[in-house]
Amino acid sequence: MNYFLLNFKAIFVKDIVTELRAKQVLPTMIVLGMLIVWILRIVSEAASIERTVMASAALWIAFLFAGLLVQERSFAVEQQQDCINALLLTPVDVGTIFLSKLFVNVVMLCIFEIIIVPVVLFSFQLSIPDRWPALIGVLLLGNIGISSIGTLFSATVQFSSSLLSIIVLVVLMPMMIPATFTLLLIFGAVPKELTGTGALAFVGDFNTAVGYLIAFDVVFTAAGWLLFGFVVQE
Amino acid sequence: MRRILLLITFALSLVSTWMAFTVGQVVPVEKNITFEKNIVYVHVPSAICSILCFLVLLVAGISYLVTNKPIWDYIGAASAEAALVFSTVLNAAGSIFSRPFWNTWWTPSPRLISSAILWFLCVAYLILRANIQNPRYRARICAVFGIIAFLDVPIIFITARLMTDQHIANVEFESACQRASFGLSILSVALLAALLIWLKTDILKSKAIFEKEFT
Amino acid sequence: MSTMGEIRKDNGTANAVISISGVSKAFSTRLVLNNIDLEIGGTHSVCLFGVNGVGKSTLLRIAAGLLQPDKGVVRICGHDIGREPEKAGPQLGVISHKSMVYPNLTAIENLSFFANLYGVKDGTTRIDKLLNDVGLFSYRFDRAGTLSRGLLQRLAIARALVHRPSVLLADEPFTSLDGEACRHLILVLSDFVKNNGTILMTAHDTKVGLKCCDRVIVLDNGTLILDEMTSDIDIDGFAQDYLSYARAGN
Repeated sequence: MNYFLLNFKAIFVKDIVTELRAKQVLPTMIVLGMLIVWILRIVSEAASIERTVMASAALWIAFLFAGLLVQERSFAVEQQQDCINALLLTPVDVGTIFLSKLFVNVVMLCIFEIIIVPVVLFSFQLSIPDRWPALIGVLLLGNIGISSIGTLFSATVQFSSSLLSIIVLVVLMPMMIPATFTLLLIFGAVPKELTGTGALAFVGDFNTAVGYLIAFDVVFTAAGWLLFGFVVQE
Repeated sequence: MRRILLLITFALSLVSTWMAFTVGQVVPVEKNITFEKNIVYVHVPSAICSILCFLVLLVAGISYLVTNKPIWDYIGAASAEAALVFSTVLNAAGSIFSRPFWNTWWTPSPRLISSAILWFLCVAYLILRANIQNPRYRARICAVFGIIAFLDVPIIFITARLMTDQHIANVEFESACQRASFGLSILSVALLAALLIWLKTDILKSKAIFEKEFT
Repeated sequence: MSTMGEIRKDNGTANAVISISGVSKAFSTRLVLNNIDLEIGGTHSVCLFGVNGVGKSTLLRIAAGLLQPDKGVVRICGHDIGREPEKAGPQLGVISHKSMVYPNLTAIENLSFFANLYGVKDGTTRIDKLLNDVGLFSYRFDRAGTLSRGLLQRLAIARALVHRPSVLLADEPFTSLDGEACRHLILVLSDFVKNNGTILMTAHDTKVGLKCCDRVIVLDNGTLILDEMTSDIDIDGFAQDYLSYARAGN
């Protein structure tokens, strides 16, 4: 357990320090998220769409695209100078590498949400929901869900013959939709102003939906941990 | 063997189609409309078969990772293509049905979204496969994708239960003939799926032998 | 001088540090390595020569456990690199033509990171000594991305040696190095062998390769066509055109 924690911490710190110095992923995803929110705000005005309806869509789309961007970039740091092979040569278990990369992605998404959620509230002139701690918890669960699949498949970028990393987005998006979809539903149960009022009315219990999201996270994190070794080695 | 299977599939399909249009006419609970209601004999079996193809994809994926034998990779690729075929039929049949019934080609109801995600998963598998050149690595990553995709399938359908749904909950079968024709149509589509997977696996195997991908 | 086609096995086969048995590898339709057998005993440095694309890097990657062979087994200090990577891995240090260090971390951070992962107990002392040995002590707080090619290669060597491996696999380590950096690297490699290390390296420059190795191997068309001690070959003839030399069986 000690070795696991030491190795986990070493890889996590390395990735965070690398990103803070490189400043590649975080600024890009924050700007992307803000652009998405801004564009949808304009669209809601132009098409006279109820802004509370659009707010939830803006948050969901920004979260999905920025979330995918951070996954796709999480192995870019290892591609430089063939560092992934240096990492694989060490005695560290590939499962540990997966969990630490997953944690890095979750932290990046959390930082992203700290900025984007207030941007959405501000752009769409919404007030802070009453059950905001529950909202934070739900967003965190969503981060884990998206990162679990994203971390697993982002390692394929290094072996893909296509220069378009958008391929990873195309591959990941169908898998992530259930997780983000559930988030949308849960938003329907938590902050009233952040919900849409369309046909997709939430009929379940909030606790059921959260339990479901936890199950999603557990299943895909476990699957990713088990299967990561097959994906990352040539 | 394959010819026998082809003949049986063809015969069953003919019989189930004939039964669907004659003795097995289905009356939906909500409305009484013309021939579109018989879409259920195509729509539902396609849904069942696309899920079965995902199951084959799962088994092929796990088997490849355990045994490293290329045949499992071919079976996986073939079942992904078959899943694409049946999920296309599923979505198309659903559209054809929903137009006269709900006056729309598609609506974002939970089950329809689930069906669409299934279709996208198949397409994503094929895109992933097309973008990796190294055959061993391609086989491995597609096996992993197949396993993850199958884990996604029940999750997609459970998600549907959390929401209200315009989709018809159940089709009521009034007679044994209807139940029989429904059973036959499922059987014929399942046999067709098996045939498609078998054929495609053979094609991929022959292609690989020809290209000597694996020594 | 050996006769045409004779492959010579190392005298210490019973305790081979690097043991490559029956290794074959194909990419698409091309058979790159065909049933390669190679045994290297301790305190030897072996240089593998071959034209571009013949499979030298492939063989080294298979030896390092980074690539799975289609057939065959690689053992490092008696441990199968495929089945016991946790035992074989710590014995290996790998130098490649890419530095395998993180550009945004400083030299000392890079070495600390790898020292931590390898569980090096006296990490700080070891890193300071290594940085001194490779001549990077004054650059220790510089980010790896800002270092020149020669300095980066020194950092790569330090990274490969931080965990005190007994085997060093070096894939064209002299590529893009100037005279001074080459001399320095030759010194480091010979020190490694003097301290009971074993080296398997690839090189294009025959003069440099012959200078730092005591055994030469030539790979051609998927097989080893020459395997001799450096002292037993005609150095001038080999340095002029090693491929013809090897094919002629001299």
